[in-house]
Amino acid sequence: MRFQRGITWLAAVALAFALAPAAFAQSTGDPVKDLQRQVDQLKSEIAAMKAGNTGGDAGRVAELERRLEVLAGEIEKLKIGEAAAAADRSDFGLGPAASKVYRAERGISIGGYGEIAWQKIQETGEGEEDDLRAKAEDEEEEEEGAPGRHFDLRRAVVYFGYKWSDRIVFNSEVEYEHAGDEVSVEFAYLDFLWRPEANFRAGLILLPVGFLNELHEPTVFLGADRPDVEQRILPSTWREGGFGLFGQAGPFTYRTYIVDGLNAAGFTDDGLRGGRQGGDEASAKDLAWVGRLDYTGIPGLTVGGSVYAGKAGQGLEAPDGRELGVSTRIYEGHLEWKWRGLEFRALGAQARLSDVAALNAALDLEGDESVGERLTGYYVQAGYDLLAGRGGQALVPFIRWETLNTQDSVPSGFRANPDTDIRNLTVGLEFKPIEQVVIKADYRDVHNRARTGADRVTLLLGYVF
Amino acid sequence: MCSKRAILLLALLLAVPAAAKVFVSVDEALKLAFPGCEVVRKTAFLTPEQVKRARELAGAEVPSALVSYYEAVKGGQPAGTAWFDTHRVRTLPETLMVVVDPQGRVGRIEVVSFREPEEYLPRDVWYDQFRGRPLDPGLQLKRGIHPVTGATLTARATTDAVRRVLALRQVVLAGARP
Repeated sequence: MRFQRGITWLAAVALAFALAPAAFAQSTGDPVKDLQRQVDQLKSEIAAMKAGNTGGDAGRVAELERRLEVLAGEIEKLKIGEAAAAADRSDFGLGPAASKVYRAERGISIGGYGEIAWQKIQETGEGEEDDLRAKAEDEEEEEEGAPGRHFDLRRAVVYFGYKWSDRIVFNSEVEYEHAGDEVSVEFAYLDFLWRPEANFRAGLILLPVGFLNELHEPTVFLGADRPDVEQRILPSTWREGGFGLFGQAGPFTYRTYIVDGLNAAGFTDDGLRGGRQGGDEASAKDLAWVGRLDYTGIPGLTVGGSVYAGKAGQGLEAPDGRELGVSTRIYEGHLEWKWRGLEFRALGAQARLSDVAALNAALDLEGDESVGERLTGYYVQAGYDLLAGRGGQALVPFIRWETLNTQDSVPSGFRANPDTDIRNLTVGLEFKPIEQVVIKADYRDVHNRARTGADRVTLLLGYVF
Repeated sequence: MCSKRAILLLALLLAVPAAAKVFVSVDEALKLAFPGCEVVRKTAFLTPEQVKRARELAGAEVPSALVSYYEAVKGGQPAGTAWFDTHRVRTLPETLMVVVDPQGRVGRIEVVSFREPEEYLPRDVWYDQFRGRPLDPGLQLKRGIHPVTGATLTARATTDAVRRVLALRQVVLAGARP
């Protein structure tokens, strides 16, 4: 009976080897071979005992049990990895902060995400061409604006990073849009980690505004398309060259960066998106400051806001030769609450610009083409996971209402184009068979004061890995 | 086109191994969990039936029939058990220590090592949600455990790990009874 138990244990040990992740096996190398050799030796000894002695040998069995315990311990170390090994050289009695240990255990780290969309944009009535003109002007518009049916590999993104040490980390995102028609580096920065409260970041960085500019993987937000407010008032995806501090203290997290400012030469009546420089030989004549503070002290709740302030002239001159400042300030507040299956988000944003009349003159904008002096927008959104608490799947119907106006105020002598005063109502459904894959379907009722809004139906397949 | 290739080439060159981050060693974690206690490592070899039972109780994968845990005793009285669970978060693993009190409720959770970017780590206050929870239907993400934006996969993996540990404890202790 003892022999049978011993054989069973050996089988369990061998099974554990078989089930041990390949990554661990590869990373440990020789220790695995050593353990395997010892298992083989135990097998041989048990086989010899079975062949030569059926009466049992209590001493030998005890020794085999001891060896199996040793092997079990070694396998546990392999499973846990570095932390188990680090125990050999740590100073006991120290708290975790004082006794952080690091080891150059290595593994390849690549991540990514993608979005594949089918979209039908309805024909609109009179004024349709005007409505679509603004979209066509912005080649980086997130959604194609032309009526009809479209299939688009919107984006395929790969993350790459390199960690030289626990103090210095590189992170980057390379994005292919529209099946490779556009390629861009979404961010590429170095982090110099000092302590949780204060760390330094420099490079091409994502501005910490709104919900989606930093976190825009398709599994993170509801809806096939990002809210217009987070595209036209907060021009996501918005990245600029810069540097600054980030960290957390108590229930608060913060980021504060100095970046190269927007370029007013790209502003239109449709918003600020065209002013993003994105690290493409960007002008850094005018800099800007952006800061963000979030409270996350209650699980499921995030409340915070951000401010962007800087000039956007970048050397642009008015017709009279005066250099334009185009002071640009963007204020944004947000709240997210996740409770059981409920996901609720609310966000409001306002941008205020100066020197707009002179900017319009410099850009030859007339009549209703003016850049907005004030741009405003907000949205509220709620969804409920009908499969909440039933494992890893999710089925979330949702609704989002948003209003925005990219010409909420224009200089005297200009008039607002009614098609920039927009109301969107989006209803949809998303299904996640696993946490990293999402299938989305939604309908967006687009209404503007000029009655030229083009409703749209979108199906989207998204993934992250 | 050349610039696209250059970007891809640069990215591939940069795709080299990253170092893991170990926050606390196993021994340190045990000392934090059980100050002044005598701690003994135990090993359980589960039968296929026990693995199946643990999987059903946890509602999560039970990857190995070999289970190690640590039993703490103070003044002759059981002070709880600690279980180390290593699992994949996104593409890389993390190891958690889950401490279970003698009544079968979660005592504390310690992140032992984490190889994903630290942005995917929830705040401490999120882990506090597990304290005092037994293995029941409420111990689920989006039920008794609130999700966290930006760290969904870690939240899911942690919840699964805690359920797995509590399930294994039930199965192992039931198997240990005469």
